[in-house]
Amino acid sequence: MARLVLVPRETATLLAPLQVAVLALVMTLLGGAVLFVIYGVSPLDGLHAVFVEPLLTRYGIGEVLLKMAPLLLIAQGLAIGFRAQVWNIGAEGQLILGAIAASVLAIRFDGTDSQLLLPAMVVAGMLAGMAWAAIAAWLRTQFNANEILVTFMLTSVALQLLYFLVTGPLKDPMGFNFPQSISFAPNAVFPIILEGTRANASLYIGLAVTLVAVVFVRYSFASYKLSVGGLAPGASFYAGFSSKRAIWVALLVSGGAAGLAGVGEVAGPLGQLQRNISPGYGYAGIIVAVLGGLNPIGILFASAIMALVYVGGDFALLSVGVPDAVTGILQGILLISYLACSLLLTMRLRLVREAPG
Amino acid sequence: MDVLIFMVSGTLAAATALIFAAMGELVAEKSGMLNLGIEGMMATGAAMGFVAATVSGSYTVGFIAAALLGCVLSLIFALLTLVFRANQTASGLAIGILGLGLSSAIGKKYESMTLPGVPDLPLGPLAQIPVIGPMFFQLDVMVYLSMLLIPVTWYVLNRTRLGLTIRAVGESPVNAHALGLRVLWIRAGCVAFGGAMAGIGGAYMSTAYTPLWAEGMIAGRGWIVVALTVFGTWMVPRVAFGAYLFGSISLLELSIQALGVNVPSQLMSALPYLVTIFMLALISRNTLFIRLNSPASLGATFRL
Amino acid sequence: MKLTTGLMATAVAGLMALPAVAEDKMKIGFVYPSPIADVGWSAELNAGRAAIEEHFGDKVETLFVENVPEGPDAARIMNQMAAQGADMIMLGSFGYMNDGIKLAQQRPEMTFIHASGYKLAPNFSNFQSRNYESSYLVGMAAGDVTESNVVGIVAAYAIPEVIGMINGFALGLQEVNPDVTIKVVWLNSWFDPPKAQDSARALMAQQADVIYSLYQDTPSVVTVAEEEGVWVINTSSDMKAYAPNWLLASQIADWSSFFIESVQASMDGTFEGTAFWGGMADGTVDVKSWSDKISEGAMARITEAADAMKAGSFHPLTGPVVDQDGTERLAEGETIADPDLLGIDWLVAGVETRLPN
Repeated sequence: MARLVLVPRETATLLAPLQVAVLALVMTLLGGAVLFVIYGVSPLDGLHAVFVEPLLTRYGIGEVLLKMAPLLLIAQGLAIGFRAQVWNIGAEGQLILGAIAASVLAIRFDGTDSQLLLPAMVVAGMLAGMAWAAIAAWLRTQFNANEILVTFMLTSVALQLLYFLVTGPLKDPMGFNFPQSISFAPNAVFPIILEGTRANASLYIGLAVTLVAVVFVRYSFASYKLSVGGLAPGASFYAGFSSKRAIWVALLVSGGAAGLAGVGEVAGPLGQLQRNISPGYGYAGIIVAVLGGLNPIGILFASAIMALVYVGGDFALLSVGVPDAVTGILQGILLISYLACSLLLTMRLRLVREAPG
Repeated sequence: MDVLIFMVSGTLAAATALIFAAMGELVAEKSGMLNLGIEGMMATGAAMGFVAATVSGSYTVGFIAAALLGCVLSLIFALLTLVFRANQTASGLAIGILGLGLSSAIGKKYESMTLPGVPDLPLGPLAQIPVIGPMFFQLDVMVYLSMLLIPVTWYVLNRTRLGLTIRAVGESPVNAHALGLRVLWIRAGCVAFGGAMAGIGGAYMSTAYTPLWAEGMIAGRGWIVVALTVFGTWMVPRVAFGAYLFGSISLLELSIQALGVNVPSQLMSALPYLVTIFMLALISRNTLFIRLNSPASLGATFRL
Repeated sequence: MKLTTGLMATAVAGLMALPAVAEDKMKIGFVYPSPIADVGWSAELNAGRAAIEEHFGDKVETLFVENVPEGPDAARIMNQMAAQGADMIMLGSFGYMNDGIKLAQQRPEMTFIHASGYKLAPNFSNFQSRNYESSYLVGMAAGDVTESNVVGIVAAYAIPEVIGMINGFALGLQEVNPDVTIKVVWLNSWFDPPKAQDSARALMAQQADVIYSLYQDTPSVVTVAEEEGVWVINTSSDMKAYAPNWLLASQIADWSSFFIESVQASMDGTFEGTAFWGGMADGTVDVKSWSDKISEGAMARITEAADAMKAGSFHPLTGPVVDQDGTERLAEGETIADPDLLGIDWLVAGVETRLPN
């Protein structure tokens, strides 16, 4: 009698993550095909609309790059914490704080000629994101309060703070009482990097952070300590064994990165502070981090694929006429397939023959 | 007096969906499984419950369909975490995203439609008592069932062999396995129960509380449920208390506004979250207390 | 590799096929902020789309996307419509204004009509309704039927349009019944059915026996009023079916004539960017499903006021009007100017609740 069993991989291989990614993608394509059939759309047309159509035009590519920037930033930051088992799921709130801080500068110094305005906004946004995450770090290290819940609930608080500011202190005085700020001056927005599209220079920040993350993970002792802190016995949900330092580093880095993503939105496609600054990038960033295998290079690809699914989903709304639910379901399938396949990162299948009886 | 009656009966109704989902999540967490996908399972339950009740004309069918679909979603979570040994946090989020998409797809053709709503069930002479009657005894059957679920969950977890088994698995799956307990099956069962309860909680929102289907109507309640289990330090009575507290705070905001008191509404909307963070810090401070009540293996992947 | 080339080939074929169809027909895109249901804001706009199709028949082709969040993604949907050859786009929410204006500047050959807002371009019109006129009428009905002399309003946001409607409602109410207390609950959401319903119940608990559901996109408030046996008035489409016994009246907006005119102007090349204000006079604004429980005397006065508005001889916001602080806002005989109405930020005396913030 022969059966398939899982055995641990003896050596870490470079091929494994690639196999997993390809397998997950194939499963997503199959799942997507089934989904389109359910909606009465030819699966080839549907998959073409989501995964190919955005890449056929300059505008489409620009949109994918635009969407990729915040996802990349947030995911790189989160992955550092996730490796240490510090689960910051409130990147959305840290993003909002980053956007608010940058907007305060853009509004307060509207009319200045200084080219330092944008850099100052970037720094302010990063610090604000860090500060918001620091609340969770402080409550965790000082009071042992679970960071998953604190970061999540702080997101709801951040949202209300944003609503308060856009209907009050940061409202455009000439804006007929509508809940939004003034439009930012040209020296308070990121330059466009691809002519004729909305892709802007905030993507460079994401790429720079990726580079830093590669170096950090490869060579730094701090990263090693972070992982050890994370893997220490009982470093699970509430045990509180992981070192205080790991918690601080993880939350500050991820909060800062999310804050930067917030700057990229208000000083990018939006050009002002308003109520809807993020369609859930903070949560999507978690998916991207996991999809990328918590590896900086993997995250680079994962953020591109996620951005493609987002943009492609919007394209499919019009070109093949499927409802917007498709994007969410596709993302779910992608993540579930990946999680299921990721077992193959540490294990492999082997055919074992057993003597009968 | 009317305001008081509204606050009490309204709180009981507002907390009902939270109680169902929170009791389910609590049982799952007691077995060591942290499912963060509650929001998606509740949304799917709300859509499924509404559609099934509308099509069949029976609320019972609606609740059963919602429970079954919640079960199916939670079993995907169980499959990922138990068989494929994937990380629980990421798997829960995946289920949450899938569930939100699924709810939108299921409810598409029923957007903004309404139902008469699960009828109120006055409890005989009790309902006739002035003030007390309208507060407690003129509610719908699901409210009573949710109140009943609280002692039942407590009894099962703390006074039965099944409860002991669940807690043992959550405390140390390795020891439980060594004792011959079927850890994976027990955990899968607890997760499935949690999924069914989340489905029912969601269906309560769409068929009894509001009663209409609109995409996005769960609006963060699933996350509140996760927060409640921690807020209540995994103790049934405290989790239930948290649900009622949360329900009353959200109604208080609206009542104060209606009184004409000038409150910054955003601050009021943020208040429940601030209070929960504060309580969380206060409770978590006592590590020993937490350690005694929290399932030690919560969120950790079980490997033989 | 083969698969990719195959897909590319279909894409090219698809792109080349497009202009041939688009040549003779005018293509009009619609962007809606919420899912299209039987009732609500998007349903009213979608009725305008149906009117265009019926009026122009084969000469037009319409496409629409529903549930498009305000924020960075709306621009992609508009651009996608433009790329698919849309000649005209209807934008259904305030949050699309800035992106719409940008696209209008990039595409001078296209025309845009935008719901609410204040920005204009030669090829970008906005349209708003004088809903305060019908609010005045339903206010009169509310003043007639209330017995507790407490009337509650469940309001979305404190934007000028909503403030104008509350003021119109309050003035109509006071015209019939000067002793009424008006309470407002601000939801800070266009869309939160459970919270809208809780608000209605909170108002009922404080003796309100008429509830004004102001821009709640779902029948949430209407159904709870029917259940509790309390009078209810709603905005955005007729909701008689949801409250056959207790619906006092429905305020409706009919965009068909404005939409048809705009399409015709685009065809003729006579489109000008203007601010369109539709009211009772041109049939954009109306009240449907008056309850037969309104007293004959009140109904006669309502009809009289409605006729005067249609004839242009009566403006609901005519002085003397005093605000909540007792400041005179409109002197005896003075009517409010449209630009002031566009930015109105005060409530009339008699409304108990203050504006948020």
